[in-house]
Amino acid sequence: MSRLKEIQDEKQEMPMTPMIDVTFLLLIFFMCTLKFKTLEGKLAAYLPKDVGVNLMDAEPIEKVEILVRVRKEGTKLKPVSRTETVVYGPQHTGRYLWDDDRVLEYQIGPYKTRDLEKLRERLSIIYRERMAANEEKVPATIDARPGTCNKDVVDVLDQAIDAGFTDITFVGAWPDNIK
Amino acid sequence: MNLSRHDPETEMDMNMTPMIDVVFLLIIFFMIITDLTQKELEELVLPVAAFAVPDKPDPDKWRPILNIQYDGKIIIMRILLYDPEVDDNRAKPYERVLEWLAQAAKRMEKAPIDDNDPSSMKIPDEALLIRADQSTPFKHIQKVMEMCGKTGIQIWKIQLAVSVPEGDKDKE
Repeated sequence: MSRLKEIQDEKQEMPMTPMIDVTFLLLIFFMCTLKFKTLEGKLAAYLPKDVGVNLMDAEPIEKVEILVRVRKEGTKLKPVSRTETVVYGPQHTGRYLWDDDRVLEYQIGPYKTRDLEKLRERLSIIYRERMAANEEKVPATIDARPGTCNKDVVDVLDQAIDAGFTDITFVGAWPDNIK
Repeated sequence: MNLSRHDPETEMDMNMTPMIDVVFLLIIFFMIITDLTQKELEELVLPVAAFAVPDKPDPDKWRPILNIQYDGKIIIMRILLYDPEVDDNRAKPYERVLEWLAQAAKRMEKAPIDDNDPSSMKIPDEALLIRADQSTPFKHIQKVMEMCGKTGIQIWKIQLAVSVPEGDKDKE
């Protein structure tokens, strides 16, 4: 009798400490790996619909063609931290930014400019003129010449969207020797 | 029994159960959150655009996303499909990207090529999201656009991913 009582009284406790240790480690791991999703935006654009099939007639609407050229490549900068950068050597590897000495030229028809603001003004003037002439829509194309990077083109696309253009297409790639 | 007597030998055990419950809940929370972060989105420095449409994807809906790194590497769903240094030496450098684009085009909703003629050829009517680093040479993106136009793919709607300027985030 006394033996049975002894066994019943004996508490069978699980050792909690290792489990809590592991649990905390897991918790810290997941907290550290958590990366909050940053809000992204998107710019809509279109490609020529009839490439390769040519089922449709030539479009009668005159397109506004925006040419983007690189006039001076500029210094490549390597981002070190959020605010600091260092100049990249010729054998750069890795992500880079362009310094302010990068010069781009934008051209619409005979009009040329190196200033993004002026391009925007010009684009809104053209858009308003064409809309005033009772055109249903004003399509634009962006012709990015070799040397341009994604940022340059997105800048132009952004300005064109701001000026009112909704139907924007891209011109295919040029050989590297055409500037 | 004298309850008021304090015996220093008695072990004062803390009650661990509620704490463990809370910690487990936290773990489950963080596990779910980390699963939600989409693996299609590669870590890139996107160009900044002021007039972009905020991207609020429907998590249940599939959409094709193509990532292009600053050096031209094309990564889809964490898989490297094109590396300029390796694949340019092959006979068909863009083979795997083309394959993926063809599959994506197949999954997309279709619409007639001519809006006024429902019997005309049907082509994909959904947008391809191109996420490219801000310093990616545009020729790599143009190459992707060219491929989109190939017979059997014919994706004509594209979206370029951009980041919203710092100040504008508060307005959202």
